[in-house]
Amino acid sequence: MASNATVYRDLTPAQPLDKATLNKMVWKSTMLQASFNYERMQAAGWLWGILPGLQKIHTNKEDLSASMSHNLEFFNTHPFLVTFVMGIVLSLEQQKADINTIRAVRVAAMGPLGGIGDALFWFTLVPITAGITANMAISGSLAGPILYFIITFGVQMALRYFFMYWSYNLGTKAITLLTKSAKEFTHAASMLGVFVVGALTCNYGATTLGMVIPNGEKPIDVQALLDGILPALLPLGLTMLCYFLIKKKGWSPIKCILLFIVIGIIGCAIGIWSGSYTPLIPVPWH
Amino acid sequence: MQVVLLAIVTFIFAIDQFSLTELLYRPIIACPIIGLILGDMKTGLAVGGTYELMMIGNMPVGGAQPPNAVLGGIVAMVFAVKSGFSVEEALGASVIFAIFGQYVVTLTFTVMSGFMAKADKAAEEANPAGIATVNYISMAILGGLFAVLAVLAYVGGTAMAGPLQAFSDKFSWVMGGLGAAGGMMRYVGFAILLKIMLAGDMWGIYLAGFAAAAILGNIPATSGATLLLVAFIGVAIAIYDFNMNVKIANNAGNGGMSDGI
Repeated sequence: MASNATVYRDLTPAQPLDKATLNKMVWKSTMLQASFNYERMQAAGWLWGILPGLQKIHTNKEDLSASMSHNLEFFNTHPFLVTFVMGIVLSLEQQKADINTIRAVRVAAMGPLGGIGDALFWFTLVPITAGITANMAISGSLAGPILYFIITFGVQMALRYFFMYWSYNLGTKAITLLTKSAKEFTHAASMLGVFVVGALTCNYGATTLGMVIPNGEKPIDVQALLDGILPALLPLGLTMLCYFLIKKKGWSPIKCILLFIVIGIIGCAIGIWSGSYTPLIPVPWH
Repeated sequence: MQVVLLAIVTFIFAIDQFSLTELLYRPIIACPIIGLILGDMKTGLAVGGTYELMMIGNMPVGGAQPPNAVLGGIVAMVFAVKSGFSVEEALGASVIFAIFGQYVVTLTFTVMSGFMAKADKAAEEANPAGIATVNYISMAILGGLFAVLAVLAYVGGTAMAGPLQAFSDKFSWVMGGLGAAGGMMRYVGFAILLKIMLAGDMWGIYLAGFAAAAILGNIPATSGATLLLVAFIGVAIAIYDFNMNVKIANNAGNGGMSDGI
């Protein structure tokens, strides 16, 4: 029942989180992907990371339960920048903001960070560092790997610390301005959240067909036909199917997952989905 | 002794590829450590440096999974030191293990989707220990299976490659199917979010977000920053919505007041 609540029972703002707790969460943020999975991605690791703060903020069991439940929904962001989302969500939790508001802010903040983090870290810092240190290693110098670790880990931890404090303070400051128009803010934040989920459906949706029907000189690529109708048609359709099954038919998420495992494996047995595999039944189109 | 240490560090590297520092598993660091265990640090540095350069174009970006670098690096080290392979030969012979590492990752991510129900229950009971348990289980599965594969390579040597290759050829459709299913499971996550967030007036906004990503994501110049650009548009819409509604609320309030007076 608690998971359906939209406001916390105890609406008195909690004490601001102390430095020790914030620091603890900075370190725990490194475990973000400990239980990464296809359904909710980093959700359980995210919740694990902010639990020290949530336990301080929500002193009664009902509120802690409600907070934990909504923080276990789909979550995915860049691992090294996650403390930015943590800080802002924790400041909202501390002020006992409306749950819908917290959810909307969380969803809106997590999406864009993924792209920024990859660009900063994996496309810039790591290649440059690796370029310098890998040759040191190849020529037998132990300084190569050590330097590599110090640079990349140092930058990563500095970012984690900086973003945690910066965004926590930012959120705390912003909230006093926003409590005046809380209802309007929640509506606007939900709009942003839904907009981002729409974008994620297209951006993270990776399901494509691998069927090419032989047709003499011009083989027919079925996925290209689908793209001509609507790009990312399959991700959108499958998301809508899930939404329909969960919302209207009362399916549990686990039932949807099992359905997808069946669709996935049967599909590959007869060579429908894209990927490098050999179908169980030889088919002309894969 | 060597094999126990190898299993332990493999266990740690397997977890590190997604959590902890996300750096220890990189070949440039992992290979010298394996080299230290196997008693040939110099080869470790050489394999690690070479593999790291190979990997620069092969980053774990945006949820895409390359054949697994952790097992690739560890097994390449085992072959280079124990079988006396050259760096290139060792890296070549390790590829099938890297593919199996990938299977293990796919399997773990699939199995852990099932464990989310357990996490939900822990959340409902406000039980932090339950959340920790789910995370520990996941790390144990991933680390354990990786350690088994590393030990297989150590004990079986290159002779293991044949049977693994045969297995992979025969059952690639099952793994392909799990991979395809894995790609679909995020739709369940989206659907759960939408079930709560998608009030009656939000359908258009959802489709607008989809359209924005479809457009920006298919233009080479903007595809890298798709989600950031989407957020810019979304923020503009949200601020407009906020200001309009605040205005309406204020006007309604003022109107009511003055009428009353």
